Order: sequence, then C-alpha cells, then structure tokens
Amino acid sequence: MRTSPLKDRFADKGAISRERYGVEVVARVADKQTECRAVRDAVGLTDFSFTRKYRILAEQGLDFLDGLLAGNVPKIRFGRVLHTFLADDDGLLVGDCYVANNDEEFILLCESIVPDGEIDRVMQAHGAAVAGVEDLTTSHVLLSLDGFKAWEIAKEIFGADVLGLPYLSIEVYPFQDQSVRLFRAGKTSEFGYLLLVPQAVAPALFDTLASAVEKHGGQLCGVDAHDDLRLEGRFFNIHAEGLRVRDPLVLGLQWMIDFDKDNFRGGEAIKRRRAQGIRRKIVGVAAEHGCDQLVTGAQIFHEGRTVAEVVANCHSFVLEQPLGLAVFPVELAYSGLSFRLAAADGPTVRTISMPPIMPKSLTVKLDEM
Amino acid sequence: MITTFKEELIRRLNLPFTPEDLHEDISLLGSGLGLDSLDALEIILCIESCFKIKIPDENVAVLRSINTVVDFVIEQQERKGVTA
Repeated sequence: MRTSPLKDRFADKGAISRERYGVEVVARVADKQTECRAVRDAVGLTDFSFTRKYRILAEQGLDFLDGLLAGNVPKIRFGRVLHTFLADDDGLLVGDCYVANNDEEFILLCESIVPDGEIDRVMQAHGAAVAGVEDLTTSHVLLSLDGFKAWEIAKEIFGADVLGLPYLSIEVYPFQDQSVRLFRAGKTSEFGYLLLVPQAVAPALFDTLASAVEKHGGQLCGVDAHDDLRLEGRFFNIHAEGLRVRDPLVLGLQWMIDFDKDNFRGGEAIKRRRAQGIRRKIVGVAAEHGCDQLVTGAQIFHEGRTVAEVVANCHSFVLEQPLGLAVFPVELAYSGLSFRLAAADGPTVRTISMPPIMPKSLTVKLDEM
Repeated sequence: MITTFKEELIRRLNLPFTPEDLHEDISLLGSGLGLDSLDALEIILCIESCFKIKIPDENVAVLRSINTVVDFVIEQQERKGVTA
C-alpha cells in the first residue's frame, strides 16, 4: 500500500488513517465538526499526497494530455490551471484532474478512484513513455491549505505576491533552495492552495505550515472532512458521487469537457450518450434537522414509488442540517420539490439550490488587500 | 425561466454548450464555467436584461450558480409583487 512521506508527522498529531483504492489516506485528525469548522472559520492543513502527480515537458505533453483528458489542454494559458477529468474507454470517470500550464512544463494532479497500477496502465497505453511523462507521485508531497484565513498563511510564507493569484492558477516559489509549485485551487469554496513539494523539504514545509495553522486557530484535517466540505460547497467529489455515479453527464460535468475536440479517452462514448439525451441528473437535497435517514444509498419516493437515489451525503455544520446529492429523472430534477425519504411514508426531503451556504471567503477581496 | 437564462448566458458569453449541458448548480465564477470578473459584469447585465431585476454591487454572491441566480430573481419578483 502506498503511504505518504508525511505519515509519521500526521500520526504524531493523532491522525487516523485508512486505505482508499490501495493508498493510505489521513481520514481525520480531530472530529469532523472541529475540522469542518476550522476550514470555514480559520484554516485547515490536509495531506493530499494520495493524489497522482505528473510532470510532462510542454513540447511533448500537449498532445499527450489533450488526447487523454476531456478538457482542452492547448487552451490553458501560461500560469493557469484547467479542471477536467480522466475517463475510461466507456466514458466513465477514473480521475478528477487539475492540469497546470507552468511555462515549460505541464503538471497533472489526478485524484483517482482506481488503484495506482490501473492508472499506470492507462498512462503507458496512452504513450506516457514516448511523451516523457515523469511520475512525481512518490518523489513529491501534495499539501492542501484551505480556509477563510488560508491566504494569510500563504502570504506569510511565500510573500504578498500570492494574493494576486487568481483562482485556478499556478506559481513557483522557493523554499529552502527548492521549488514549491503552488496551485491556487481547492474544492471547499473557501480560499485554497495546493502545494506540490519535493520530498526533501516536505517535512520542513509541513512543520512551518502546521505552526502557522495553529497560530491562526486552524486545524490539521483529514479527507473525511474534505468530503463534507466539498458537498456543502457543491464542488464535485470523485470519491463520493463520482465513485457512485461515474457518468460525467449525469453528474453535470459537461463544463469539464471540450465537445468540439476530435477525441479524448472515453470521448466517443460520452458524445454518444450526450446525443441520445440525458435521462438522469444529480440534484442537491436536504432533510430536516435531526433526520438520520439522508444517507448514501437511500431511496427517494414520489407518490409511492422510488424515483431517486442518494449518492452522497453529509451533515452541514454551517446549516446544522443533513445535505445530500441524489440522482433524479430529469423531469423531477429541479430545486424546490418535496419527496419522501427511505419509504413512501418516510420523512420529507427537499431538492435544493446548490451551493446552499455562503462561504466567508466570498466576503474577502484579496486584490484589495 | 431557467432555460431563458441559460440561453441568454450562452449567447452573451459565447459558451460552447447547449442549455442542456449547463447544470443548474454549476458554479458561474472561478471553478465551473471559469468565468472572470468581466464575465461577471456580462452575467449581471444578462440578468438585468432578461428579468428586469437589478443586482446590487455588493451582492455578487448571487452569482454562485444558475440556481442561486434564479432563486434571487424569484425572490425579487415576489417582493415586487408584494409592493406593487
């Protein structure tokens, strides 16, 4: 099982780990409420080293990545990041990807829902060796700094320049004579930075970040809290609804696809399904405070018959109510409708507009700091 | 109302999608459609022209998704109806 180079440091802080697709991930460090509130009100630091990481020289990388991924890689401007996905030949999701155009190189970060060996086979079959793809997965660490105050820490460590970075951009900063690639990204709806760090300086950077997080009233976090924060902020989560549904069209991920480009892995199948028309669609749902039946796999009823299934759920500590995502037939896939949960006479569940929360980070204008 | 807004959004911003491609919860700014602050102005104009509703400068949070825009429009129209 692949483990993170920072495993011992997180363990020293009380982290509980678990296995996910053959990779060990930090599930939690404190209780989920503490971690979620830390990100919403202050800052959280999470080990995202489970992510597959690749470097491809720009010259060779362009065609390789564009033929592999659903988005339009040639359109990524220098210094910018594209959010897209990797599919299998049937057009079903395999990985949620960020691709950064970092001057002479592309950096690919892939949160996959298959074991490493399967991703390796996909990359090789697609010509990774010819394209000179360098696998950074074990040589580098990926840390995620998220939260209302994340920008303050990024500024303290890397300088005020970070405040000018737009969402979905990349910049390189020195740290102890090594280069840290900093992605302005994140999927919590608060400020977010992903730091791709060479293993040699990863422990030192982790210690610096962890101290700063503590100073700012933050918390080390695990991926379980991130699952909930993503749902609450209505960011796509490949480990929750992505894993359960896998069809990008049902998941509403058309925005990640360039339908005009000739082809990409799984593209033919996706375009065929799009031409046939979508029959099911994912919609946000909410139950009353205290309802414990809004759980993944639960059925949703309308006029006595099953019409939908819950594919992701969380407890929102901002709203203090259970939230979820459910897949409905398109004729019922609208916000503002009421259904029954778990049984024909079960508790009420409503479809809602997402995202249901107003992140604090939206109130801060970094370019005016 | 949703379809009208989607069609106008696609036309004004020249988006390479059909209305069916745009999920109602899609993020309009940042992630999702990846629109920038100039596009945000265009969206505001789009809302104002489609629905005859003014978006206050301080209320860009309304632009979180197509659904949040539509919720805001419905709320404003109901408010107008009450005061009319």
